Amino acid sequence: MNHLPQAWGRPRDDVYGPYDGSYLQNDGPNQHSQSPIVTGTSVLALKFKDGVVIAADNLASYGSLARFTDVKRLRKFAETSVVGFGGDVSDMQYLDRLLNSLDIEEAYGSTGHTLNAQNLHTYLAKVLYKRRSNFNPLWNQLLVAGLDGEGKPFLASADLLGTTFSSPSLATGFGAHLAQPLLRKVAPDEETASKLSLEQAVEAVKASMKVLFYRDARSIDKYSIAVVTKEGIDLKQDEKLENQSWAFAEQIRGYGTQVN
Amino acid sequence: MSSPFAINGGACVAMVGKDCVAIACDLRLGLQALTVSNNFPKIFSYGDVYLGLTGLATDVSTVSDLFRYKVNMYRLREERNIAPSTMANLVSSSLYERRFGPYFVSPVVAGIDQKSGKPFICGFDSIGCIDFAKDFIVSGTASDQLFGTCEGLWEPDLGPEDLFETISQALLNAVDRDALSGWGAHVYIIEKDKTTKRLLKGRQD
Amino acid sequence: MTMFSQNPLMNGPNYSFSQTPTMASGANKEHSFYPYTDNGGSTLAISGNDFMIMAGDTRSTSGYNINTRYSPKVFKIGGTTSSQDDATLVLSVVGFAADGHALKEKLDAIVKMYRYQHGKPMSVKACAQRLSTILYGKRFFPYYVTAILGGLDEDGKGAVYSYDPVGSYEREQCRAAGAAASLIMPFLDNQVNFKNQYIPGSGEGHALVERAKDPLPLVVVEALVKDAFDSAVERHIEVGDGLSMMLITKNGIEEKFLPLKKD
Repeated sequence: MNHLPQAWGRPRDDVYGPYDGSYLQNDGPNQHSQSPIVTGTSVLALKFKDGVVIAADNLASYGSLARFTDVKRLRKFAETSVVGFGGDVSDMQYLDRLLNSLDIEEAYGSTGHTLNAQNLHTYLAKVLYKRRSNFNPLWNQLLVAGLDGEGKPFLASADLLGTTFSSPSLATGFGAHLAQPLLRKVAPDEETASKLSLEQAVEAVKASMKVLFYRDARSIDKYSIAVVTKEGIDLKQDEKLENQSWAFAEQIRGYGTQVN
Repeated sequence: MSSPFAINGGACVAMVGKDCVAIACDLRLGLQALTVSNNFPKIFSYGDVYLGLTGLATDVSTVSDLFRYKVNMYRLREERNIAPSTMANLVSSSLYERRFGPYFVSPVVAGIDQKSGKPFICGFDSIGCIDFAKDFIVSGTASDQLFGTCEGLWEPDLGPEDLFETISQALLNAVDRDALSGWGAHVYIIEKDKTTKRLLKGRQD
Repeated sequence: MTMFSQNPLMNGPNYSFSQTPTMASGANKEHSFYPYTDNGGSTLAISGNDFMIMAGDTRSTSGYNINTRYSPKVFKIGGTTSSQDDATLVLSVVGFAADGHALKEKLDAIVKMYRYQHGKPMSVKACAQRLSTILYGKRFFPYYVTAILGGLDEDGKGAVYSYDPVGSYEREQCRAAGAAASLIMPFLDNQVNFKNQYIPGSGEGHALVERAKDPLPLVVVEALVKDAFDSAVERHIEVGDGLSMMLITKNGIEEKFLPLKKD
């Protein structure tokens, strides 16, 4: 330790060589995230007769490392909507804080009106689009599940570029490849989705989660699932994938060392 | 725009009709945006079979001459004309021989099988993958445009005169939306025992 | 040095501070974030004597994925309410959907304000100029879209204005835009403007007399639009699912939806 406060907490010059002060300069441009760091994988959602089912596993990966195995990626908003986050986890947490303060702000209003899922989706899409336009993206793709202004099931997606779309079933990330075809088989259009029962919807989503666990290397068998209806939100955050069968694994040929 | 397929420009299309086929090409030869010639036909006849070649002009000439040689040798050995389907396989295998140093051409074959009287058309990529089609084949820098016009104008079982009008309109309107193709066209209407070749003026700009 | 780093953020040596810097060090680094994407799809507009038709498919894509089968690209602009029941203009946007959406919202707000302040709907001509100004306003970070604006002009004739992403615009008889524009446009030249059609036996070579450009009736134009999209769907993977059409006449805007192939 020497007497100069500037040197406190820094590597000692006599041991590590002169300190590279260029890291401390603050006249450079602001640095924005150019890639996600800790990430969550797919989010799935499916509309049914009286609401929406949405699910995501509880893993936050650091590259290929399964870093945090108990991260809840479904967030409630105002007891009316659920947002499912894929992509960067720190950006998810930022958005969650943003939504919490929005919720509190809105609750102070005297109208008694709360934001529905459609409003929430518009808000999030605008936040994401603004951030991408400033070249400072929030690295997420998210699904917003709930009810719209007329009380009908609402499901829509928004991503880091501000792109938005809506569909009877949606899946982000790997799920767009693996789960979406399965979900579309159950609900090819709005008409079919509006006739699905809760049980059918939950079953389809759970089956898709299982397929994702089998084939998505960045997934885990612990997941959260939420059902949003006009009665409210039924959010379960500690589900475990059931009835796994790895029998198919023996049949897989063509990868790895074994050839035939 | 340094793809070898798009340096010289050009377009070719073939269509099936009722007991007839048609094949047509533009006449432009260019170097990027500069037009060098307005008389560079891209269809070559080999007896009963017609071959359209678009792509790199030097390869168009080389490949057309190569097939002239190969078809002549075939005729000497077999003492008969080559059939369209045989020609298709000859083109395919010849191009695949150059799998790792291909000719930059997109060939189209059209003709009528003299034995069965059946119309035959097909197209290839530059390494010989055959695309058999029941309706039409397009190739060249105006292929997107040709897909649009052909898909919009073509219908099954057109007679020779209607097929001529259809393929001509498809080609002319397609090349007018492509900066690298145009400057007139050649159209061949092939029937079992008659082939009619027509020259279209087209826009000269 | 970099290869021994344990810090994925820096791609360089570690230092003893617990916080990573928020400032970039030294020379500027290349940004790897690309703020655009292509959501595919195609649009098409044709004007007639006393009507115009604007149409667009409803598929939204990212790469080989279909985001949704229903995401309309054709919008009514400048009605007095959010329902747009009394709108007189239509806008289609194709390209990057997020920019398209932002552009539509912006133009809609401006045309609504005009209507509120002037007590009358904006003319297509004025709106067309305004849209050009909006697009050019983002000349150095453009809206990545091809826009087409439609309506009826001061004489009640169908009007189609087409744009490039930075605001060049032109009034035209017809225009196709988007992924399958190159497929549809030559077909339209032939069938709407009768390009390359001549009166048989009227002369030799360039002395031939062109077929008269008689204005097409609405039913014919509607059939052409359907044919154009059926053709595009057949040969372009980003086009399909549904066709959303707006027919503008002096009686207002009629919306139509037709299914397209979903493969």
